[in-house]
Amino acid sequence: MMRDLKTRLLAMVAFAIMVAGCGGEDAAHPMSTLAPRSDLANWINGLFMEITAWDLLILVIVIVAFTLAVFFFSTRVGEAGPPTAVSSDLTLEIVWTLGPALILLFISIPTVRLIFRTQPRKPVANELPITVVAHQWWWEFHYDDGSGAVTANELHIPAERPIHLKLVSNDVIHSFWVPRLGGKRDVVPGQVNEIHLISTIPGEYYGQCAEFCGVSHANMRFRIFVDKPDDFAMWEKSQTQPGAVPAEATAAMRGAQVFANSPCTTCHTINGISKGYVGPNLTHLASRTTIAAGVLANDPAQLTQWIEHPDEMKPGARMPDFGLRGAELNDLVAYLESLK
Amino acid sequence: MAAQPKVLPIEQPSYLEGGPISWLNTVDHKKVAMMYGIASLLFMAIGGIEAMLIRVQLFYPNNHLISAAFYNQLFTMHGTTMIFLVVMPLLLGFFANFLIPLMIGARDVAFPRLNALSFWIFLFGGIFLHLGIIWPNGGLPNAGWFGYANLTERMYTPGLHIDFWDIGLIILGVSTVMTALNFLTTIVAMRAPGMTYMRMPLFVWSMLVTVILVLLAFPALTVGLLFLFLDRFFGAHFYQAMDGATPILWQHLFWLFGHPEVYIMALPAFGIVSELLPNFARKPLFGYPMMVYSMILIAFLSYGVWGHHMFATGMGPVADSAFSITSMLIAIPTGIKIFSWIATVWGGSLRMTTAMYFGLAFILEFTMGGLSGIMHASPPVDLQQTDSYFVVAHFHYVLFGGTMFAILGGFYYWWPKMTGRLLDERLGKLEFWLTVIGFNGTFFPMHFLGEWGMPRRIYTYAPNMGWTFLNQFETVCAFILGFAFLIFYINIIKTFFSDERALGDPWDGRGLEWATSSPPPPYNFGNIPNVRGRDAHWITKYGRAGSRGIAMYASGQIPKPVPEAAPTEAIHMPAPSFFPLVIAAGLFVMGLGWIQLWYRLVAIGAGAMFLGVVGMAFEYPTFGQENAESEEHSRSVGADVRKVGLWSFIGSECLFFATLISTFVVYKARNPHPPGAEILEIPLTSFSTFILLMSSVLMVLALNAIQRDDKRWNRIWLIGCALFGLIFLGVEIHEFYGFWMKGMAYQTNLFSQCFYTLVGTHGTHVAIGVIWILVLVVASFTGKLDKSRALSVELAGLYWHFVDIVWVIIFTLVYLMQQVKGA
Repeated sequence: MMRDLKTRLLAMVAFAIMVAGCGGEDAAHPMSTLAPRSDLANWINGLFMEITAWDLLILVIVIVAFTLAVFFFSTRVGEAGPPTAVSSDLTLEIVWTLGPALILLFISIPTVRLIFRTQPRKPVANELPITVVAHQWWWEFHYDDGSGAVTANELHIPAERPIHLKLVSNDVIHSFWVPRLGGKRDVVPGQVNEIHLISTIPGEYYGQCAEFCGVSHANMRFRIFVDKPDDFAMWEKSQTQPGAVPAEATAAMRGAQVFANSPCTTCHTINGISKGYVGPNLTHLASRTTIAAGVLANDPAQLTQWIEHPDEMKPGARMPDFGLRGAELNDLVAYLESLK
Repeated sequence: MAAQPKVLPIEQPSYLEGGPISWLNTVDHKKVAMMYGIASLLFMAIGGIEAMLIRVQLFYPNNHLISAAFYNQLFTMHGTTMIFLVVMPLLLGFFANFLIPLMIGARDVAFPRLNALSFWIFLFGGIFLHLGIIWPNGGLPNAGWFGYANLTERMYTPGLHIDFWDIGLIILGVSTVMTALNFLTTIVAMRAPGMTYMRMPLFVWSMLVTVILVLLAFPALTVGLLFLFLDRFFGAHFYQAMDGATPILWQHLFWLFGHPEVYIMALPAFGIVSELLPNFARKPLFGYPMMVYSMILIAFLSYGVWGHHMFATGMGPVADSAFSITSMLIAIPTGIKIFSWIATVWGGSLRMTTAMYFGLAFILEFTMGGLSGIMHASPPVDLQQTDSYFVVAHFHYVLFGGTMFAILGGFYYWWPKMTGRLLDERLGKLEFWLTVIGFNGTFFPMHFLGEWGMPRRIYTYAPNMGWTFLNQFETVCAFILGFAFLIFYINIIKTFFSDERALGDPWDGRGLEWATSSPPPPYNFGNIPNVRGRDAHWITKYGRAGSRGIAMYASGQIPKPVPEAAPTEAIHMPAPSFFPLVIAAGLFVMGLGWIQLWYRLVAIGAGAMFLGVVGMAFEYPTFGQENAESEEHSRSVGADVRKVGLWSFIGSECLFFATLISTFVVYKARNPHPPGAEILEIPLTSFSTFILLMSSVLMVLALNAIQRDDKRWNRIWLIGCALFGLIFLGVEIHEFYGFWMKGMAYQTNLFSQCFYTLVGTHGTHVAIGVIWILVLVVASFTGKLDKSRALSVELAGLYWHFVDIVWVIIFTLVYLMQQVKGA
């Protein structure tokens, strides 16, 4: 009980210093681990604060001892006063062996408890299973709740429901990291890693690949939208619909023709038109806020640029420039932007 | 005409004398150390410029000044350069190389030619790593210094980038391991009379522990790089996520090397600081025994913590907890060291030189790095911090705030000893303050960037993340830091033009290195000193160590003049040799051959190496002699240095084979489809095992014969032994051919590639043993092998027996246990 109190006190001091030092407020630092928005991120942040408090305690002791030794309890060469030449002291040595050992004990107990708490062995009741497939350099999400919904780079999850992410890789090692919703997990080819979390506060949270995965590692971003349960249900339902069919004699209709006759179909799926599994599923592209793994805004101008010069917008992008230009390209963009 | 060991005239004043040729063929540890130092400082300038470019690129969000591809090469080479070409060579090649013999009262290291060979291989290896930039269709390495598989596979990183990295690091590893066994032997076998282990300066202790770490850690890296080489060049798939293999294997091998590597870079720095602080506080080191034991404990623990680099890979809660607790335990001995350093200063009579400034600042900066280390020893916290800028902050506080501060302090402290010229103290103080400001300004804010979610190794970032200001602040501070290093280089260069000569003992030092002139003569000491206690030179000057000695100083007593006694006997120094340069060049050429798959070039390089090694063996009139002094200098253990050296090498080889065998055992159990172990023919291999064991008996007989001076029977047994070895190899080739005919090619499955790699590597060792024995046979026919060189046979025998014992283990695990499921 006493220890608990002391720890909390220390944690509060540490937190005050951290906040004073960095001001981890939402808008200024949208990827801050210090503003947790899930149970997982909360627990980790709490433990971090606890360890920070102990660290600060040690730091203060070292700085005080150092200052005393250098500025108060020593002389300068040439000054009066012989140096005391103590070259060992058993009591002192025992103290500075056992002291840190005790602190480490205080740190390791909550650490081990949290390790087991965050890696449950059995499925959690009512959990929403989602398979995350990492590609060079974008993210694919499959909803394994029977809805069959598939999306890319923008994951929607319901608030207040346990989420079970199963991470698999299509090529090299990546790492799934949404700082405000919890710690990262590597996405390792040939094995399935897991993340369990519950988020309570709806909002838009940024994520990014955290394991170096090749030339466009910096451009492998994504977002998680935590929706209110009803909003999520609506969103998921809309995602399972077939692709929108444009009205006759519109630019979008001509764009659909361009798409169907283009090499785009080898890699991209649009339900009802094509089946391709190399690139993101485009059936509901217009429902996303970004393209190119969170690097570009999803608007006609940037989409046009992206199709024209993929490698300039995102170095190493697997999508080639197929030479679509002019009216063809405008029609295609119009079509893609109609895919709500 | 064989070179003669020459007797040096005693009046030769400085080791630095001699023309350019005398540097190319030198075997003097001090000249080799200076070459290491200069090469490392040049590499440091390159690594520093790379860091500057990284900081410039990150100044603006969405900056397109540097391309993504080039940025990745920059951070890869910055890490690789700073670790393998700057910090390690400065600590081991420069400081340790120069100081160990001086500190323990020896004339040179145990194997002077091997030392020169280490340097040349290091230099060629360093150049090799950078060759990609001028190579047609080349390019610098680009997968990070940690080179995580399977990104490094040819499928995901085509081109020569990783080939230069992989082969370059193998070359550098050879150099480092040779340095380590050289120093281990030197410290164990060549200490001056009276220099017991617990009287050794702490820097020597730190190097003793460090080189043991090198010997036991580098094999894991070598095996890891060998697998990568086989994957990229021979179509193996040790790291592909297919056929039961996993890219995580690389991480285990890499960090099994990589975490001890952290202490390989930190312990020598601890050693340097443990020399600086007592000297400038004019007090003995506080808690010397505890300082020694804590270093040994850190080294021991460092083998059980590699998993803390892999918490995010999903090892499971049990492994996470175990690695977490072992990692935290390291904080205890580290804490002991920090408090002991403070206690060393406490009550001292401080002399505030630049070296002392760096030594004192080291304590605080390193503490910062240690404390953030405790944070990510906790796996849940680590999951937020790993691969973010928080970790970048952490290890720069350890490696820069710790190691680099110690190195800079070491320069100001020992440069006068090395060159006879003091570094400018005013420039030094300026450099110190700029370094402190620049370093903390660059790296402290990274803690916040990491906590604010900025990942490592990204060449650009979005403007709305709140990272921009701190990145700009860091870039400005990085330039202040760069300016500090500019001053450092100017200060170093200035000493070459300065007339101000340092005395032999400018700081009123404590260790034996101050007992000789500055710069020291080539033979270090006119007479080998007699050591009467810790801080040997201090005792000579002021009487016994401890409070009495200090009291005498403080009361104004003038130190006893230390007369430079004339040498009482002729000093034999090893003769210069060009063979190290030839062998290193051969290795370099061989590496280039692999890059372009020009097998003729590979053969030329291998030939040059082979001739170089044989040339070295026959270089001195007496066959197999290391240097004229070796017998005389083996006084501290009573064993020949070559024997100690070979035992160290065998220790390292044990780890090498242990790594290979573990991989085989793990991967065999994961092998998805036949052929597997059932293909092995136990009767045939039992025969060849018997032959190999019998060859060991012949080796014993050969040694027995030469010890009786029976040259004829020695020759017969040696030839018999070589013959048996050849029979063993013949059976192995027959076995491999048979498997190949049955459809088990190298790339067939996980079992086949592990089997061929393990057994083939052992076969290569047998082949090298056979060549070694044949060299002895040649020596015997030319009349160079007699009773006095019995040790040469004994050494070959040691190696031969070791290779046989390894075979017994392989035979048991690979062949006999084939039926055991999951084994």
